Amino acid sequence: MAEENAPHHTGADRTPNEVIQEYIKYEKIKYYPVELTGEIKVPKLTPNSMIMVKPQLLTGKEALERLGYPVGGLRPDWKEVFLAKMGEILKKYRSVKLFLDICVRCGACTDKCHYYLGTGDPINMPVARQELMRRVYRRYFTVPGRLFGSKFVNGEDLSEELLAIWYTYFYQCSECRRCSVFCPYGIDTAEITMAAREILNSVGIVQKYMHEIIDKAQNIGNNLGMQQNAIVNALEFVQDELIETTGIEDIRIPIDEEGADVLFVTPSADFFASPHIESLYGYAKVFHQAGISWTMSTHASEGGNFGMFVHNYQHMKKINKRIWEAARALKVKRVIGGECGHMWRVLSSFSNTMFGPFDYLDPKYPRPQHICELTLDLLKRGALKIDKSANEEFTVTIHDSCQVARGMEMGGTEFGQFEIPRGVIKGVCEKFVDMPENTIKERTFCCGAGQGLLGDDMLATRVKGAMPRMQAYHYVKRENGVNFLALICAICKAQMSKMLPTYGFDMEEVGGVHQLVGRAIILGAKEGI
Amino acid sequence: MGGIKFIVDMGLSSLVYAAIFIFAAGVFYKVYFEYYKTPQPLKIPQTPQPTDSFGVLLRMAGDVLFFRSLAKGTRLLFAAGWVFHFTFLLLLIRHLRYFIYPVPGVIAALGNASVFIGIVMLLAMVVLVVRRFLEERVQYVTLVADYFVLFLIIAIVCTGIMLRYEPFRPDVTSVKAFTMELLNPLTPLKLITMEPAHAPSCLLFAVHLGLVCLLLIYFPFSKLMHSVGYFFSPTRNMVNNPRSVRYINPWDKG
Repeated sequence: MAEENAPHHTGADRTPNEVIQEYIKYEKIKYYPVELTGEIKVPKLTPNSMIMVKPQLLTGKEALERLGYPVGGLRPDWKEVFLAKMGEILKKYRSVKLFLDICVRCGACTDKCHYYLGTGDPINMPVARQELMRRVYRRYFTVPGRLFGSKFVNGEDLSEELLAIWYTYFYQCSECRRCSVFCPYGIDTAEITMAAREILNSVGIVQKYMHEIIDKAQNIGNNLGMQQNAIVNALEFVQDELIETTGIEDIRIPIDEEGADVLFVTPSADFFASPHIESLYGYAKVFHQAGISWTMSTHASEGGNFGMFVHNYQHMKKINKRIWEAARALKVKRVIGGECGHMWRVLSSFSNTMFGPFDYLDPKYPRPQHICELTLDLLKRGALKIDKSANEEFTVTIHDSCQVARGMEMGGTEFGQFEIPRGVIKGVCEKFVDMPENTIKERTFCCGAGQGLLGDDMLATRVKGAMPRMQAYHYVKRENGVNFLALICAICKAQMSKMLPTYGFDMEEVGGVHQLVGRAIILGAKEGI
Repeated sequence: MGGIKFIVDMGLSSLVYAAIFIFAAGVFYKVYFEYYKTPQPLKIPQTPQPTDSFGVLLRMAGDVLFFRSLAKGTRLLFAAGWVFHFTFLLLLIRHLRYFIYPVPGVIAALGNASVFIGIVMLLAMVVLVVRRFLEERVQYVTLVADYFVLFLIIAIVCTGIMLRYEPFRPDVTSVKAFTMELLNPLTPLKLITMEPAHAPSCLLFAVHLGLVCLLLIYFPFSKLMHSVGYFFSPTRNMVNNPRSVRYINPWDKG
């Protein structure tokens, strides 16, 4: 960066980039999980308690260039770029425009955010987070603000300090949309956060974890940056494992097979991360036992789409495109998505807008379809032989992933996204208990690491954000002896398998819904039916 | 005709017309150009969103009439907020009696309870103010503008209640004559020829009306736009059927 050449004075002659780099210098923060009581208490305000969280910046020149963001930190002319970008977003997204306009600061959302509950930092209250942008909006985009300045409208002039606050707190929002359930006008902080992140990107403040992945997914094809042969190797390894553990010779993980009925997409973490891979075994067993011809694709080797996390439509579209290219190239009849939260939101809510109509797919099935929809349908039709006693040792509860729970239909009904995964679990397990009502379904808490906050640099935030879910889990564990937390999201799985040990639970208590399915399926018993 | 009366008549009439114009033009501009014309690229409905238009309509009606979303959270805020808005609506309906002739029976009947309604509304607003003041989290996010609106409406209600009693009580027929005259499309033209409508000779009435005008002028530039804005809220007004019905992004039709 330019720091070496610049004069090392303090004061007015420093470049904006030097000023901001000082503000947002990454520091490792120690974290301490709270004692679990099973109760979620609303904390007292503790101002600035999370202000030291500064995610790492993306500095790789090539990656930034590919993404179309400024190279070399904050642009010298950042204020103009900032306002131009914000103006553009206000013209393109009614959500952002409207939500900045109509909030009455009633306070209904103030105790709803898991990051606020975990940290007590006032700016983690959804309305206060939105106000960060609303202050700029009032100052530069309303008539009174332009005429009379920031004092008159409670606005704020642009400054490097404000930018640093944005960078800190818009990366402490996991865009989980819980606040918007309780908002009388449905104001969705996620939309504001996405806009803020794109504005930060446009001036050259680009968070590393999330954007590195966006870059990999666009240009290599998956979040992990695996080349095609690595994917093939990984999946072949999974197939060998499956054959070995089940003793079934013809159970397969098909790759790039033209003419298969189903193209299956899932987060690339499922290929080898734990406990994700257990669900991959589950999917394969379901397809095998149901006799459905399916394939995975090396071109669309990623279901996840981090492009959704910023209001940069092109990123999301470019990543999503691979799936629909693969679907056409492989001439499949159905596209089915595995266990992943935001992937499902992109697939079900946004894909049809970006790449529809899907008239080349079989109209008999929802397009695209969720693996839980498929599995529950098969279970109901008796197409899978299930031995529930295989899951005897588990008393299961489900963590509704925020992106699945809020805002998408599954199974064609407004509550399908709750009923269908629960239906699958109840179909393969004897004992199922729900966590307290205010922590599940539409009111579910985010795992604490969603939407670009899963990086190790965010651990302090993640531990605090996981608190509400951990309390709820502790409660059902104590009251009902629950010992398995079922998940339907790759990010949840990664986060929870880290958080459970942090909060003193056994890491083995986390797993996917299809992990349970995979255990209970009796393979090869189809003869005679 | 005294000189002062002429100035008051002139001032009040002009203020009323200006306020109505700013209110109407401002709200129209906001709603049409800023809300309606701004595209919504993607479907972002929020659970529990129905999967058909009629269901969405019902949900929005529940939100608008009974504050269903708000009721999921804080009970006190829900109760105070709902009572405030409901009594406000009743009082607005009640005021129609100054604009309609003859006065319908329902509105006349409402008249008997109007002071009571006004007091309930005041109490609800006191709760809203005290809440902003005492509750730590709400206090943190409250701006001067939030108190401004609350106190402005409180002042309007207080002056309104006082106008019912001596010695402030104006001659009701003269009030009605004034509003009917203002409604006459020729009256604004007469402003140019310096023949304004005749306002009732009552200072408090002028204050009451002036505050209402202030509220109207403030309306389009403020959070009060939540009233109309709600209907454009994409998390509430979009049908939850993105898979079965393709939604077209207005700026990416490809």
